[in-house]
Amino acid sequence: MTRCFFLGVFLLSVAAGAASALTISLSQIDSSGLLLSQRVNAYVSVTDDQGEPLTSLQQDAFTVSESADGVHYAKLPVIAFEPSAGANRGISFLLVIDNSGSMYDTPDSKPTTDPAKMKITRAKEAVRAFLASMTNPQDKVGLVVFNTRYRLLARPSTDRERVASLLDQITKPVPDEAYTELYGTLKLASQEFAGVSGRKAIIVLSDGENFPYFTHTGKPHPDYGTRVFTYPESIVANQEEGVTVYGIDFGVEVMDKNLRTIAQETGGKTFEAARGEDLNGVYAAIHRQVAGEYLIGYRATTTPAEKKFVQLSVNDAGKESTATRFYFSSIVFGLPLHSLSVVLIIPFVLGFALLWLLTLLKLERRPGPANLEVLQTRIGHPVTRVLPLSATKTVIGGSASADLTIVGAPQVRQEHATILFDPKDKSYTVVGSGDITVNNQPVKTRKLEPGDVIDVGGATIVFDDSKDRKQEKK
Amino acid sequence: MTTVSSRLIILALGFLGGLAAWPAAELILYSQGAFPSYLAFLSLLGAVVGALMGAFFGSAEGITSRIRNRIPAGLLLGALVGCIGGALGALVGQAALWLIGGIFLLSYRDMQWVVLPVSRAIGWAVLGVFVGAGEGCRSLSPKKIAVGVLGGFLGGMVGGFALEYSRLLLPGFALFRLVGLVILGLAIGFFYGLIEQGMSFGVLRILAGELKGKEFFLTERRIRIGRSPRNEIALPAYDDLADLQADIRVRKGEPVITNLDPSVTMLVNEEKVKERKLKLGDVIKIGSARIFYKYG
Repeated sequence: MTRCFFLGVFLLSVAAGAASALTISLSQIDSSGLLLSQRVNAYVSVTDDQGEPLTSLQQDAFTVSESADGVHYAKLPVIAFEPSAGANRGISFLLVIDNSGSMYDTPDSKPTTDPAKMKITRAKEAVRAFLASMTNPQDKVGLVVFNTRYRLLARPSTDRERVASLLDQITKPVPDEAYTELYGTLKLASQEFAGVSGRKAIIVLSDGENFPYFTHTGKPHPDYGTRVFTYPESIVANQEEGVTVYGIDFGVEVMDKNLRTIAQETGGKTFEAARGEDLNGVYAAIHRQVAGEYLIGYRATTTPAEKKFVQLSVNDAGKESTATRFYFSSIVFGLPLHSLSVVLIIPFVLGFALLWLLTLLKLERRPGPANLEVLQTRIGHPVTRVLPLSATKTVIGGSASADLTIVGAPQVRQEHATILFDPKDKSYTVVGSGDITVNNQPVKTRKLEPGDVIDVGGATIVFDDSKDRKQEKK
Repeated sequence: MTTVSSRLIILALGFLGGLAAWPAAELILYSQGAFPSYLAFLSLLGAVVGALMGAFFGSAEGITSRIRNRIPAGLLLGALVGCIGGALGALVGQAALWLIGGIFLLSYRDMQWVVLPVSRAIGWAVLGVFVGAGEGCRSLSPKKIAVGVLGGFLGGMVGGFALEYSRLLLPGFALFRLVGLVILGLAIGFFYGLIEQGMSFGVLRILAGELKGKEFFLTERRIRIGRSPRNEIALPAYDDLADLQADIRVRKGEPVITNLDPSVTMLVNEEKVKERKLKLGDVIKIGSARIFYKYG
């Protein structure tokens, strides 16, 4: 499964300007092509003062600029332009419907027993109309209802009839289930798009504020326990999945104060549909807006920065609007130094100079005098590890008076072995008073050659006599 | 040269590799904005850093085996393999950084202290994996590749964190990248030495002659002994040996030595043999060479 990570992050500003009759909204920045093709794609929608998407703008109406510091922007050429990118590629919608107790009141928040007057009935009708209006076979739709609990009715799929039939399963909740876990729901809903590619949008319809069960009852939530979701969690979850959240406010009094932020930061917006008259129109407007998004691709700069700001501006007959977002552009090696110094040459030269010195290190072994070297001991340890053989008689043993003393080894006798020098032929001979081996062969006495290994009660001793060897060679 | 001093030499080479790679990295990073694409910029940067570190590690074998004429070839081949590994490592590491960084950036608002250090460490770990594998590829040793990959991964991780935090904790400290590179080099070097020992089935120690005291870890399935510098145990100064005199192969987990050129006598514990299973403590004589088989 290839998940597309959209690296567009904070919606820094939707500098719409109330006076301007044009609003550009940057819903996603896709920088996944940055490494291989140096390309960044931006998905933008442009709406007029009525909130209606403008879908027939030409490429020259848009300008893209990039900045490393958020202050100085450089204009960059647009290399890809695709109007109605959403409509062409198909859009996946997840319809999230509030099924709290108040949805069974009238749009004026009056209790009623007439289903026809209930908000939930209006909402179901609007969803049916929305489903019927979807004509692109590539469009997908899924359904979630929530109150205290989160309930997935259908993951996004092309089977719209099934979603329509599932609407009948929505029934009035019992009092304990009438809370509004809006933030938790939006976080969980983003996960329903796993494995879905292309443009993804959640349309959440709610008539009230986030009203968590645990906060207001003091009792652990049946699914979330004592966990209370925050609205930044919903933002992060949807940004990670590249999901844009559209909010429909279906209440008369209070709309959740953070729903607008959630929508803005995921590239969407909120609509007011109080009293329900224009609810059908709102769903249609959201669809048009997503379907009418422009894909604008440009070649990014390589200027060093941990994050790059992207600014998209639209200019249509003198009316202007600009939106900014950033993407992550940190280099694995980090930012460059502010200035370079010639001193930098020193570590480079030093590295190679020391390498050269290492190559000269102990490359040749000078022939040394005859000696004994203790390689290892099974028990105990030698007092000296290397002993030059200078005397005519060298004693190896546990005794402190021995020439080569092995301490702490009970099986080593006080005077276990003796090395005798014969000045006539300049040879050395080992004589064992205890058990010894030479080259793992038990011996009593043995004339030694360079490299012979003598075992004295578990101590492994190497005899060497390089001078002798050189002379032999001559 | 004992196994301990071999390890110290490889460690020193890792340090020097990091030291030499640093100025080159700074120079290329300084001209980042002039590159037409991240692909070109990162490939060059990774290739140069990898080549320099690879060259230093490539010379290790020649230095520790005291066969000086092996050094230039090892250095060049190390640089070449390191160049490829470094370029790949920089690109894959960068991809990892952007992927992980993108996710972390969304989950944690603390870019300075969490997002960048964690993402950088992961990116560096990937870079380290490729640089560390280079020396194993050069010597065609799967075990060395595994060792290098582990060392590179851990060294890259620590180096990446060190780089980021030294920059944060010591503002104005210009050597932060040097710290990262040196840690990476040291860790790769340390692991080459450390795990090589854990993965070996013993050590052969030369007892006499020019290479007296030199120890070889037995880490390969087949170890060749002879005068040719191509052998794992190269004994060029032992004139009476053949270019390829003997080999040691692992059979059912036990090393078996075979004399390949019968014109030179091989004795194991004073017994003339053609082929012999080795036990710890065995003394091997081949011509003028004396070798002791011991525990690593």
